[in-house]
Amino acid sequence: MKRNLIGKVIGGLSLTSAMFVFQACYGTPQDFGLDLLVEGQVKSKISGLPIKGIKVSVADNLQYEYTNDEGRFSFYTEKRDNLSILFEDIDSIQNGIYLNRDTVLKNSKEKVFLDIKMEEK
Amino acid sequence: MFSSFKKLLFRKFKRSETKLHELNYLFWECTTRCNLNCLHCGSDCSKDSLYHDMPLDDFLSALDTVKTPSKNFMVVLTGGEPLLRKDIELCGRAIKKRGMKWSMVSNGHLYDKEKHISLLNAGLGALTISLDGLEESHNWLRNSKDSFSRVSNAINLAVSSSRLYFDVVTCINKRNFQELSSIRNYLIQKGVKAWRLFTIIPIGRAIRNPELFLDNCQLIELMEFINKSRKSSAIDVKFSCEGYVGNYELKVRDNYFFCRAGINIGSILIDGSISACPNIDRDFAQGNIYKDNFYDIWQTKYELFRNRRWTNIGKCAECADYKDCQGNGFHYWQGDKKNVLVCHNEQLKKQH
Ligand code: SF4
Ligand code: SF4
Repeated sequence: MKRNLIGKVIGGLSLTSAMFVFQACYGTPQDFGLDLLVEGQVKSKISGLPIKGIKVSVADNLQYEYTNDEGRFSFYTEKRDNLSILFEDIDSIQNGIYLNRDTVLKNSKEKVFLDIKMEEK
Repeated sequence: MFSSFKKLLFRKFKRSETKLHELNYLFWECTTRCNLNCLHCGSDCSKDSLYHDMPLDDFLSALDTVKTPSKNFMVVLTGGEPLLRKDIELCGRAIKKRGMKWSMVSNGHLYDKEKHISLLNAGLGALTISLDGLEESHNWLRNSKDSFSRVSNAINLAVSSSRLYFDVVTCINKRNFQELSSIRNYLIQKGVKAWRLFTIIPIGRAIRNPELFLDNCQLIELMEFINKSRKSSAIDVKFSCEGYVGNYELKVRDNYFFCRAGINIGSILIDGSISACPNIDRDFAQGNIYKDNFYDIWQTKYELFRNRRWTNIGKCAECADYKDCQGNGFHYWQGDKKNVLVCHNEQLKKQH
């Protein structure tokens, strides 16, 4: 409380509002960003079995991950409204052939779990 | 008059921050292995480090003693070169799982597209990459023929992410000194938003190479360069926290000098030592995670860090600026506590 008060007074004297922002010489900038943890499982719509090797990616972003043996994926990404997640079968006939699909995340809080069913081609 | 009032208030602010000593910046020296052999390295790291990487579980046990981390608490992975750890993403995820943020300092050598993506997936939030000049001078300092092109690629990737809080750091020395403007333009053209400059500490293998240290005139020119660059919004240029710079205070960074080592900055070093910034003399370690409770040490020790009166010795004893500087950055002291290794203020005044 007292800390904020002194900070505000000095800030008011145009010392800058970034009073509490610092980094050590050999350190990084502080991180004020917000993340969303996107987790889930991809299964076949017909058999209900997990699908391995599906590419799960974030639209307009380099990030992607592949589903594991249990069809699971998990990654952090920058929190934003209307985040589009794409699911693509890119390994040809290996692990079956499925139709690509996507989903849009709206107003997610800190984490979201996606239960995805993919249709066989 | 107005500025002395601001200084006075800032001293008060430092006192209140020190009293509170909220831990919000924790270095983890997760490896001392390194894939480069830089001329200026203070840690004398090498490819065959004496130490094994610290097991993740050992670090986590210490981290878990921080029961209620502060709002912006962050773990800063450093080395050696953190990317030499095969489990770096696992480390990051384990930290994120605890609701904490993590960041990393890297020489960029192994930072390719796949690594960039896997680190973002693991929740990397901030990144610093070292670039020590244009191609020739960078490769000279880094002792490597292809370091520049690799770092350049790493910078492109980091810049492409809107999530990362990213900056580039440069160690200024006699060789790259003439390139300051060109490096600045190079970074602007790459889209880098923040650039931090620091000088080399006369320790480790650096001490044997006089080309690494700026003379007094060059230090002044460096201050002038930073001051001038800060008038443009093209890139945020600043001098690192390393030292008190007298009349250049507030002209070369956002705030007055404040060494937060042991006040907000702690560390867990490769051998389990508990300290503050990793560039501080290891004699100042406050405990060891293999026998002490990390957070208890943070709360109850660190006397030398939080009460700097002992630095009022040697050249600092007679200093008119002592109240604002308090013996410069902690990393400029050695275990014998006899005299400060470097006084930027003195260097800057000598030429006025
Ligand atoms: S003599 Fe010591 S206290 Fe004075 S400016 Fe130099 S380092 Fe700081
Ligand atoms: S010890 Fe040095 S690097 Fe650490 S906060 Fe102090 S001045 Fe900065």
